[in-house]
Amino acid sequence: MATSVYLSNPSVTINSVDLSDQCTAATITYTVEALENTAFGSTARTYTSGLANNSITVTLYQSYAAAETEVSVYNLVGTTTSIVIKPSSGAVSATNPSYTLATAYLESHTPINASLGELSTIDLTFTGGTLTKATS
Amino acid sequence: MYIIVSPRLGTPGDTFEPADGINVQALIDGGLISTDKPKKSSKVKEAPEEN
Repeated sequence: MATSVYLSNPSVTINSVDLSDQCTAATITYTVEALENTAFGSTARTYTSGLANNSITVTLYQSYAAAETEVSVYNLVGTTTSIVIKPSSGAVSATNPSYTLATAYLESHTPINASLGELSTIDLTFTGGTLTKATS
Repeated sequence: MYIIVSPRLGTPGDTFEPADGINVQALIDGGLISTDKPKKSSKVKEAPEEN
């Protein structure tokens, strides 16, 4: 049976702050770098695993109000933190896994990113760190 | 001890136990948690009994 994923109510927590209701997009990229170990005599290129190089990118509505996006994000630039994302806000389970990127670095933030007549949004990319998946 | 200020972290007034890797200083700087002690309920002194 064909299946599809429709994310309408995912959970996005950045540095313990639940910013789900300000978030419109989230991407987790789980990467383990490929190191080539092809040698003479090989008939095809071969690779072995190198360092993990994970990242999470989120899009958030900007808000300067108390306890909203700006105060939650601004002080994280140049530091590391943890980001937790779940497909649904419900309990963690095999069908609602939790992904945690720990010790991820936030290099930059755009406190002002606005155009006339549009809601202001910000894109944040957290890089590095260790990605873990929990199902219980 | 840290106290939750923002409802985005939990119930305001509850204690906040940061997990490993959480940037606590960023939360304090953003006013999302505080290092204040929770307020105690005010005590009402009973009037001394008159003899």
